[in-house]
Amino acid sequence: MNAMIEMQGVSKRYSRGNETLTVLDSLDFQVDAGDFVALMGPSGSGKSTILNIAGGLDRPDSGRVSVAGSDLGAMSSSALAPWRSVHIGFVFQSFNLMPVLTALENVMLPLLLTPLRSSERKKQAEFALDVVGLSDRMTHRPKQLSGGQEQRVAIARAIATDPDLILADEPTGDLDRESATSVMELLQRLNKEMGKTLVVVTHDPMVGELAQRTAHLDKGLLVDVTGEGP
Amino acid sequence: MRSSRVLVRKHLLQHWVRSGLTVAAITLAMFLLCSVISIVTTLDRAVNSEATQRLVVQSAVSLFVNLPLGYQEKIVAVPGVEDVTVFQWFGGYFKEDEQPFAQFAVDHENFLHMYAKDMRVAEGPRGVTGDSALEAVQAAMNADRRAAIIGPDLARENNWKVGDTVPIIAKIFTKQDRSAWEFDIVGIYEPLKSNFDPRQMFFRFDYLRETLEAEGMVDDMGTGVYMVNLEATADPGLVSQAIDGLFENGPQRTKTATEAVFQSFFIAMLGNVPAFMGAIGGAIVFAVLFSVVNTMLMAGRQRRGEAGILKALGFSNACVARLLLYESLVLCLTGGALGIGIAALFEEPVRWAVGGALPGYTVEPSTLLLAVGVTLVVGVVAGIGPALGLGRLQPADALRSEA
Repeated sequence: MNAMIEMQGVSKRYSRGNETLTVLDSLDFQVDAGDFVALMGPSGSGKSTILNIAGGLDRPDSGRVSVAGSDLGAMSSSALAPWRSVHIGFVFQSFNLMPVLTALENVMLPLLLTPLRSSERKKQAEFALDVVGLSDRMTHRPKQLSGGQEQRVAIARAIATDPDLILADEPTGDLDRESATSVMELLQRLNKEMGKTLVVVTHDPMVGELAQRTAHLDKGLLVDVTGEGP
Repeated sequence: MRSSRVLVRKHLLQHWVRSGLTVAAITLAMFLLCSVISIVTTLDRAVNSEATQRLVVQSAVSLFVNLPLGYQEKIVAVPGVEDVTVFQWFGGYFKEDEQPFAQFAVDHENFLHMYAKDMRVAEGPRGVTGDSALEAVQAAMNADRRAAIIGPDLARENNWKVGDTVPIIAKIFTKQDRSAWEFDIVGIYEPLKSNFDPRQMFFRFDYLRETLEAEGMVDDMGTGVYMVNLEATADPGLVSQAIDGLFENGPQRTKTATEAVFQSFFIAMLGNVPAFMGAIGGAIVFAVLFSVVNTMLMAGRQRRGEAGILKALGFSNACVARLLLYESLVLCLTGGALGIGIAALFEEPVRWAVGGALPGYTVEPSTLLLAVGVTLVVGVVAGIGPALGLGRLQPADALRSEA
């Protein structure tokens, strides 16, 4: 199986005043293509930092990171931006939709970076909203949607450009149990039926149970990996 | 870029009160800027377009000290002088003092001829117009001691017509019984130069002098200035020196200058108008700049999280920065276009409102272009800082500020 994410000896430290906080400490971590991995651990254990580094939003202080066959350390910030639009779909805990845009416009946003024509962008965004079951909410603005629906729009936005890897940071953190189950079933379907590699940061044991593998982190160290790959 | 258009429009409409107030501030500022610049350019044009072949002779002491009437004969005799008229400010008003207009007592025999390049007689007695109007008005002025010729705007504002008798209340040259002076309107002139005030009245100097002398109101009538037309080949500098030389030993020393120089002295009496107006214009530009900078700083702070989202989606740093810069430019250009448009459209009403205080008020195309340039500069300067700030923001930091 090809590796989608390969991290070797990755360290990341933050300075807060005179104090230096080690968030990741010489971490070796691998996610195979088509895998569904849950990252679990206490707050500050480095889960979200792994996600940010894998998505090219943040850089490690040391170590090597390769995602979807690209060595991220060798890429400039300006090269990382288009790379993200092609390979990565982000899903955030607080949905992070543009409040001024409708559901359809939000999903079309990453497609603006593609060479598609306007009608093709609209068609693809409509398809993504159809996949997440929100065909009837296309003209709604975020504040007119429920939390679960907002997260579905965010997932539609994440898959609109058909990326290889979906990185979800606490996607069920702001949702009630019913919406959380529905969102996780949707993400699982994207993994199983569409072959998307899925990495989910979570505190929710239910998410851990759905994942093929669960990586447990503590104080920047990978302490345990359970389950088997695809 | 297509994404920019959509997002910029949506953001501006989302905060429509803030956007509307900022646009209104820019609109007002650009209108004021155009008006201030237009005042300066109008004054400048007034100075530059005055005849250099006409001299103004005034007292060397002050414009408010009269010159003896006996000087006229001596000035006419100076080589290079074509014609001379007395030119006495009357300073009266019609009904109310709130709408002042200029009245001048002049030599009726030669005044119309001397000012043939500044104005033409448009209408004379009994409805005479065209080429024969000048002769008809000249004849009427010769025949009627109380004859006066007025400008078209003055006629329109007061509904005065040729043949009307109008009472003018004097503030300087009061009669013994303090009654109004009566003038018979015998003609209406039309300015041939944009800065020739269309709200003036010219009447016979001998009517003024003889009336005051008969009533014993003046001992020794003089004139404020003499207007001197030069022969085409005459050197204004040499003639001025010759005139001033005549009266070097009194009884009143004179100061002679071309009408253009006199006009610039006259404007200078009000203070350094261009510098004053420039200071006001600069203050307007800075005030609106601060206003837009404040708006864009607020927008920049509000967009930190959004910048993180866009960068996570794959938008480049430059693209994210451009969004805010475009927003600043759209605000400024919208306000600027409105302000500049209003300044151009309201040229005529403003000209009417300022009246004789600033005849020929014109908003030049160069003024409008300058205002467009200022608008663009304000838009870029106000937007560039917050835009660069958003562009440089690390995606992960920006997303943390959203959380």
